[in-house]
Amino acid sequence: MTTTSGTAAATAQGAAPAVSFSGAVRTFGAVRAVDGVDLEITRGETVALLGRNGAGKSTAISLLLGLDDPDAGTVRLFGQEPERAVQAGLVGAMLQEGRPVRRVTVRELVTFVARQYPAPMPVAEALELAGITELAGRRADRLSGGQTQRVRFAVALVGDPALIVLDEPTAALDVEARRAFWASMRAYARRGHTVLFSTHYLEEADAHADRIVVIDHGRIVADGSGDELKRAAGGNLVSFDLAGHGTEGLARLPGVLAVEVRGDRALLRSEDSDATVIALAERGAIRGLEVTAASLETAFLALTSSDAASDGTPAGARAPAAPHSAAARRPAAAEHQAAAGDRCTEDPPAVDRAAEEPAADAARETV
Amino acid sequence: MFDYLVLEVRRTLRDTGFVIFGIGMPVLMYLLFTNIGDDVGGRWRTASMVGMAAYGALGSALNTGTGVAEDKSIGWLRQLRITPMRPRSVVIGRALTGSVVVLPAIVAVLLAGGVVNGVRLAVWQWVLVAVLLWLGAFPFTLLGIGNGYRLTAQTTGVVNVACNLGMSIVGGLWFPVDLFPGWLRSLSSYTPTNRFAELGVSATEKAAPGFGTVAVLGLWMLVFGSYAVFSYRRSARTV
Repeated sequence: MTTTSGTAAATAQGAAPAVSFSGAVRTFGAVRAVDGVDLEITRGETVALLGRNGAGKSTAISLLLGLDDPDAGTVRLFGQEPERAVQAGLVGAMLQEGRPVRRVTVRELVTFVARQYPAPMPVAEALELAGITELAGRRADRLSGGQTQRVRFAVALVGDPALIVLDEPTAALDVEARRAFWASMRAYARRGHTVLFSTHYLEEADAHADRIVVIDHGRIVADGSGDELKRAAGGNLVSFDLAGHGTEGLARLPGVLAVEVRGDRALLRSEDSDATVIALAERGAIRGLEVTAASLETAFLALTSSDAASDGTPAGARAPAAPHSAAARRPAAAEHQAAAGDRCTEDPPAVDRAAEEPAADAARETV
Repeated sequence: MFDYLVLEVRRTLRDTGFVIFGIGMPVLMYLLFTNIGDDVGGRWRTASMVGMAAYGALGSALNTGTGVAEDKSIGWLRQLRITPMRPRSVVIGRALTGSVVVLPAIVAVLLAGGVVNGVRLAVWQWVLVAVLLWLGAFPFTLLGIGNGYRLTAQTTGVVNVACNLGMSIVGGLWFPVDLFPGWLRSLSSYTPTNRFAELGVSATEKAAPGFGTVAVLGLWMLVFGSYAVFSYRRSARTV
């Protein structure tokens, strides 16, 4: 669409990347919320920061916006300190915990914010982009959740910043509101702006970002497009009914990376599903046999350790096939298996072996 | 910063609670206290007018701090930190807001005095009373802001109400200090509220504010100002 003055201002800063973390660390007591993050986002990219609750997304965003300082390492926006970039009007953001400002109309609020920026877009345009033109005269504290969220989006974008940061923008939105929100976000990204959003919804990251950065325990564990992540996690899922038979030896079948039992069904994650299926056929274990491609969900679960699985991870992210963590990144295998107890892990050695498999290495390389 | 001032003044004046308790209440109390009973003299009508105007200004000034705490709790101050607006402008803008929103209460009570209670002063005296009360309210704005940055929204509300009532009563804004027992009277003369009202009373008596009044008030301004700066510095990075 239009070349904006925000972008023009950014260009004036030279060709520095929009966002650059190098070795950034932020600890709170014993918790390393951000634990050595290196990340570069070039201008014009739309990037999703994907992770469970508590993975370090919000802390990373606080560092990024200069709301907090790293204990070690550096964070730069357009080649300068975050605080300076913010003061230069290069950044707009929608924070996670914001509640509506009271006793102002939507237009008053958005107009006020616009006037703080050196080269804002017209207020009417921002309201339109956020899809809240008809709410302009309403009081900001008397709107529905979805409307409030879009007002906050308008506040983030009205300054026409070169970089917009959205921290879990669609949490607590219903399906319809979510769709409307993403339509607005894409319209903004199409103007050539850099967008960074955090989410714990895999589908959102896959559908709306060019690039997904997976963060877990304060570290970046994967970085690439949705397809790349699926490939990195590797393998297909072969499942069949045990029909009362045991599971001995399944882990040693060709191609099998990990074995899991759900009720009377065995789930094998395999890097060579053909070989696995043939071997299963030889054993006669083919009742209800199914082969499915690895989903982003499987990839995500493989890339992140499972010890946080019970702390509010969206059900969709852990419900199906979770051949657990072939790509266990850390030596913390004990912690990892203990936490996975409810998954009825079969044959723990298989996990250890799997950790050395090429698929796991591939996953690591993308970091 | 001017935009911020306009925004905040607008938000304050739209607050029904502020209009009722910050402006309506002092006027109502003034009219009640000066029209009930039979030995109400003209002198008390004037003194109480200044006292209630001061009480109204005090409440409005502290209310600015309640607003700060509220904006902190809803994340609006944090949102402001990621606009190009400088953090310092936010706190200065708030202090200026406090200076503006104390005016309605002062003007309303003075109007009630002149129009309803027939208080007669020269024009310059009216203006001087208003201006002195307006300037003298500034330390209380600083106290409110200090509370707002330092405390949570709920605590700020409670603490501000406690400051408001306690300082109003002990300072003699509601009842003449002459009615106080001796010890309370001497304590009263050290309170900022007492000296604050004293500023206005001196104007109604065609006298210059005493040195003691200015000194005590100046000292309190220093105390409240340091408190505001300290609270702000402590929390500005965490809001």
